[in-house]
Amino acid sequence: MNYADSVTDRFTGQVTIVSEQRQALEKQFARILSEHGAAISRLAFSYEAVASVREELVQEIALAIWQALAHFRGDCSERTFVYRIAHNRGLTHVGRRRPPHQPLEELEESEQPVDPRPHLDEQVARTDQRARLMSAIQSLPVTHRQMIVLALEGLSHAEIAEVMGITENNVAVRLTRVRKALKDALGERT
Amino acid sequence: MTKTNDRELDTWREQWSGVAEPPADFQRKVQQRIERQERRFVLGNILRAILLLGMLIFAWFMRHQSTWMGTGWATGIWVLVFVAAGCRVWVLRRAWRPQTQSTRAFVELWHKRVTACIRLLQISIYLSLGWIIFCAVLTAANWRTIGQDVGAHPKEWVALLVVCVLMQYPVIWYGVAWLRRRTVAELNEVTKIMNEMDGKSLP
Repeated sequence: MNYADSVTDRFTGQVTIVSEQRQALEKQFARILSEHGAAISRLAFSYEAVASVREELVQEIALAIWQALAHFRGDCSERTFVYRIAHNRGLTHVGRRRPPHQPLEELEESEQPVDPRPHLDEQVARTDQRARLMSAIQSLPVTHRQMIVLALEGLSHAEIAEVMGITENNVAVRLTRVRKALKDALGERT
Repeated sequence: MTKTNDRELDTWREQWSGVAEPPADFQRKVQQRIERQERRFVLGNILRAILLLGMLIFAWFMRHQSTWMGTGWATGIWVLVFVAAGCRVWVLRRAWRPQTQSTRAFVELWHKRVTACIRLLQISIYLSLGWIIFCAVLTAANWRTIGQDVGAHPKEWVALLVVCVLMQYPVIWYGVAWLRRRTVAELNEVTKIMNEMDGKSLP
């Protein structure tokens, strides 16, 4: 085998490894989206009230996850990894947002999320409660929003601390404060 | 959904869990965005490489002209390219990590990035002024030979330089001022988020 052949073989080998790695990443990404897609959508609700902009935000979060996935070394749980990226992207969205121009039909849509379950009366009551909860969460300061959303998603204090970069004790103290603020905000909407 | 003994939190969780489902074609749209982003990334890099190479080829071409003006152009372009690249690397140092870290670290990094961006805008103004002064000094120092090349009176050259500066600078100033306004607004938002995280200025 001459030098040119050996270089060609080495290059072909590298290309095969890269394409296999890419396929594995794509599989992992598809799994993450199907496992955490609903949570990402819920999370986007807390950062953006306008439906069309929210859909954009959900896509941007997914894109950020894809970009970061190749660097994920498992130094935290996959859930923590996804929530970290999602919240950081949500914060960037809030920081760069222009003053909102919210069309009326979109406002109505954003205040009445869809519930696929049956029983009309029950559904109306649930939709109403959900809309109040959403509106109360959206009225909180952005870091309060983040903390209550993580708690509602069922993350433990340790996981919330890992996502936010604060101590577990701090999480407990702040969560009590945030829950009080949410209760007050819900009270104002009754 | 995680059940706890905390009834209030459980009720909220139940309401929260029904809030939203991702759109039906969510995965397809994300896939399209990824492809678009990758194309844009490749195209951006090619354009940057073409621009840099083009400038260097232009400088090399001008350097091999026999006139002093050619030497002046080549030196000016080389200095501008290297000083601009050096400034960018220096200003954005320690601000390149990805956004997979904790919120606190991310917001601190974001603050650092926005501050660096504002500093870069200020430096770019000084740099462009410096470039003009550098070219003017270079031309003045070599006027004896340059004057023979172009065959013009120094006053005409000074007038031409002033007209060029007056024509270009309002546009550059307006662009930089607009960018700076946007970045300062972003800096204010980041500072607000940082204050919220530290527990300052909260209800």
